[in-house]
Amino acid sequence: MDQEEDAFERLKGIAPRGHHALLGIFNVDDGPDWAELACPFSPDFLMDAGAGLVSSGPVVSLIDAAAGAAIIARTRQWRAMATLDLRVDYLRSASAGRTLYARATCYHVTRKVAFTRCNVHEGQGADPLAFATASFFFTGAS
Amino acid sequence: MISATPYAQLLGIGDWMDSDGSTGLVLRASSQLEGREGFLYGGVIASLLELACLEAVSRELDDPGRRPKPINMTYDFLRGGRMVDCYAKARVVRIGKRVVNADATCWQSDAQVPIATGRMHLLLA
Repeated sequence: MDQEEDAFERLKGIAPRGHHALLGIFNVDDGPDWAELACPFSPDFLMDAGAGLVSSGPVVSLIDAAAGAAIIARTRQWRAMATLDLRVDYLRSASAGRTLYARATCYHVTRKVAFTRCNVHEGQGADPLAFATASFFFTGAS
Repeated sequence: MISATPYAQLLGIGDWMDSDGSTGLVLRASSQLEGREGFLYGGVIASLLELACLEAVSRELDDPGRRPKPINMTYDFLRGGRMVDCYAKARVVRIGKRVVNADATCWQSDAQVPIATGRMHLLLA
């Protein structure tokens, strides 16, 4: 490790800002190539307050956040990156009132590209509500 | 319709009408929607595309009681979204008996320069 500080440990210590702060996204757990983030339910996520229908928008934002964190967990480097593409399969609807969890794994990294997959659930990883894959590219030189 | 929902209001998404009378959604940039510094959060752009598809499909179905369920959606991010307003327009590609195909494009200052596109499958109840 040529960096004086582990980039992932640094990431975990940063207070949420921007859209992460608006959604209330927080870190749950992590490993050598994965990160699990969560987002508490808010009535602002509803598409139809009467029917208790939750928008899938926060799900996508949480996936994006978890996938980015998983890449830093694997590379232990702080590199500028951008989401190239993202695909979400909606296995079932999210439930109103439940915290969303997204566990993303960075399963491969090349010099310029990182590949991730992500499982979204409501506290029980074996009962996912969405599954996603996303690829990112490193925008900086090198 | 979509713009009245709590989630669209959280993001600051409203309705927008093009000079040719066609409609879409507009997202007002704000610091609460920022991802990496100086850029809109990818998930926010994705949400705008998704809501634009839902809006186009519900207009096409023209039946408030019929709410199609998202099966999946694929997004391509073409350019970083700057911290300025963002427009999205969606198209219903096909309405079948069971499945609806829709796609959407999103741009900022120039409609000819898209920053993201999305394709969605929905299941009809």
